Amino acid sequence: MASNLGRLFTTLAEQSKPKLGFLSSRSETGTLFKSNAARRLISSSTPSSNQQENPKKEREVAEEEISSEPKMSLENDFKDDEDEGNEDDGDDGESVHVNKETGEVGGPKGPEPTRYGDWERAGRCSDF
Amino acid sequence: SEMATSMAASGSNLNFGEVGCRGLGYRQASLVSSLKFNKCIWNEISWSHRITKCVGINRYDIAISPIDVKFKPVKVVNAICSTDGSTKYFDFAVIGSGVAGLCYALEVAKHGTVAVITKAEPHECNTNYAQGGVSAVLCPSDSVESHMHDTIVAGAYLCDEETVRVVCTEGPDRVKELIAMGASFDHSEDGNLHLAREGGHSHHRIVHAADMTGREIERALLDAVIKDPNIFVFEHHFAIDLLTSQDGSDTVCHGVDTLNTETWEVVRFLSKVTLLASGGAGHIYPSTTNPLVATGDGMAIAHRAQAVISNMEFVQFHPTALAEEGLPVKPRKPRENAFLITEAVRGDGGILYNLSMERFMPLYDERAELAPRDVVARSIDDQLKRRNEKYVLLDISHKPREKILSHFPNIASECLQHGLDITREPIPVVPAAHYMCGGVRAGLDGETNVRGLYVAGEVACTGLHGANRLASNSLLEALVFARRAVQPSIDHMKGSRLDISASNCWSRPVVPMSLGGDVLGKILRKTREIRKELQLIMWQYVGIVRSTTRLETAEDRIAKLEAKWEKYLFEQGWEPTMVALEVCEVRNLFCCAKLVVSSALSRQESRGLHFTTDFPYLEESKRLPTIIFPCLAANSTWSSRQLHQQYTC
Repeated sequence: MASNLGRLFTTLAEQSKPKLGFLSSRSETGTLFKSNAARRLISSSTPSSNQQENPKKEREVAEEEISSEPKMSLENDFKDDEDEGNEDDGDDGESVHVNKETGEVGGPKGPEPTRYGDWERAGRCSDF
Repeated sequence: SEMATSMAASGSNLNFGEVGCRGLGYRQASLVSSLKFNKCIWNEISWSHRITKCVGINRYDIAISPIDVKFKPVKVVNAICSTDGSTKYFDFAVIGSGVAGLCYALEVAKHGTVAVITKAEPHECNTNYAQGGVSAVLCPSDSVESHMHDTIVAGAYLCDEETVRVVCTEGPDRVKELIAMGASFDHSEDGNLHLAREGGHSHHRIVHAADMTGREIERALLDAVIKDPNIFVFEHHFAIDLLTSQDGSDTVCHGVDTLNTETWEVVRFLSKVTLLASGGAGHIYPSTTNPLVATGDGMAIAHRAQAVISNMEFVQFHPTALAEEGLPVKPRKPRENAFLITEAVRGDGGILYNLSMERFMPLYDERAELAPRDVVARSIDDQLKRRNEKYVLLDISHKPREKILSHFPNIASECLQHGLDITREPIPVVPAAHYMCGGVRAGLDGETNVRGLYVAGEVACTGLHGANRLASNSLLEALVFARRAVQPSIDHMKGSRLDISASNCWSRPVVPMSLGGDVLGKILRKTREIRKELQLIMWQYVGIVRSTTRLETAEDRIAKLEAKWEKYLFEQGWEPTMVALEVCEVRNLFCCAKLVVSSALSRQESRGLHFTTDFPYLEESKRLPTIIFPCLAANSTWSSRQLHQQYTC
């Protein structure tokens, strides 16, 4: 990783190419951008995080990981914040899910929650 | 103004400035924001130059000296926990019952009595909703340096390096203590902790409890708190204002006034030490992941108590929260905390459209929907503001139905309950406010410029997050700072004297019974409308993509809205010392909103979460924290000054 990404951001900004004009079908209420330069900067003045290192590879991995249980039962999902229902049973002797790839005990079934960088369960993101 | 000039020139206040810069461990002179609302305008540049010259801060090489808490050792009164009518006396008062507040309470309870003051049920806090994990270096192939590096990169180089070092170094021990306390984290069959890797992290280092880490930590802590004989939890006690006095140039905190929202009784807490751990301020925006309690109470009461506030412009949004506006069947009551749609939907091929079904992401970035989240957030925000629309659409319906249902059953069921089938139609989404990187400025021990007042958790600005928070670092920050504040608090407590008669030094807030039910009803209705209007102004003008014009418009509109609200209140007979939950919350929301706008206006560059089209680049010379010093002005608004009057004692 570059040791001084601060300078890299500015360099990226200067190098990025202008985009095509917008396909607006309506007149804009209020001018958000003074120029095309500002518009392209939305994409370039951002530190690129690790999360998108290998989006293709991660997508393939994600598809391979499609759970052998295609239908996830809703009880296992993090569904509702107010849902005080069934807490994790942990290791109390009932069959606990062990992730074959990672060896994780009692963890979430299905695709790895962090495969796209954020923390997701059954589609709902709770940390990023 | 005269006041500003004299504060700058007098030695004692330069000490304050020194404390503000050197003692709090920041590397460079701080950028001072002009707080225009109170008609006390300080010249930004001259302040920062003055501080640099007097303190001699060198950019990369700074001696971090802890702030010496100056007090005169006096006899300690043994009435450490007693009640005098509606005044209660404790050694320690903790405002907030999330991970920061409870961790701290459990430690200081070994040395004195503790009141944990929480505005709702104890588990109603942002901690409980922090479902991801806690980041810590717990793997031999990982390193503190790596965690530090990831944090600083995510923070767009605005982090305080010493703070980052301390947090990354002490994190692992704090996590181990949680485990020892009974928090149950996921592990492998060989017993080792299972560590996940989130975006922005170079190593696997996220410790988690299935999918409810925050909740699990909260549960373990609450269990311990309930069992502790020295800790007294006061649920449904809303913090109104801190009780403070002046000791020379120092402001000293003596406790906090609260409103018991169940009994409508004002309860005054006098304490030798106060920890503010009140969490976030998501509800300054209309769409937020935060529970309803997150109305920025702590930031507001600290600001009114003359505490320094920092970096409020860095508000973290998530780009794609489920937009209820776009659901065919509207929920019966509005969802309190937004449902975030995971990046995985875009990763798996989801496409973003505006309401004219134009795919807009390619216009902003070559990577289209796979662009970094910040880019996506800005693009969505731009589309919404340009087109004056309320949400955009995220469409995954072109993917096989079975895959959608197997990967995203949560989204599918949530939408289906509201009449939307995501295998056939696009999902309405809108950005939601999620986390406040800024807050009450804290030193390395959680100390503030107000003596006896410490802060920890989301309400604090410790220098860890800089301009953007790294995933899973927020629980970590809370754990580390709550612990670091313990010893200084104990020392301060031992050297303090609790003066029972001090309770009479401040006028008491009053409940508005005298107004009668009708008038109170009108006031509450109006207050709810005003709250929504304020949130809309914030979203419209202080969203993800900002500009000087929009921020100035926000400043103006908020000032007018606040004036309109106050006028209405006082015309209805509301007195300045009256309190009611919703009224006080809106008072705090105004305060926080103004802090965010003011900070955003002062940052003339784009960095991390703060993006402004007028200054769209990073500017190395602006790589400084934003600081807001309090300003006592004669004509401040009701939201800007403490409720009670201070009598001379």
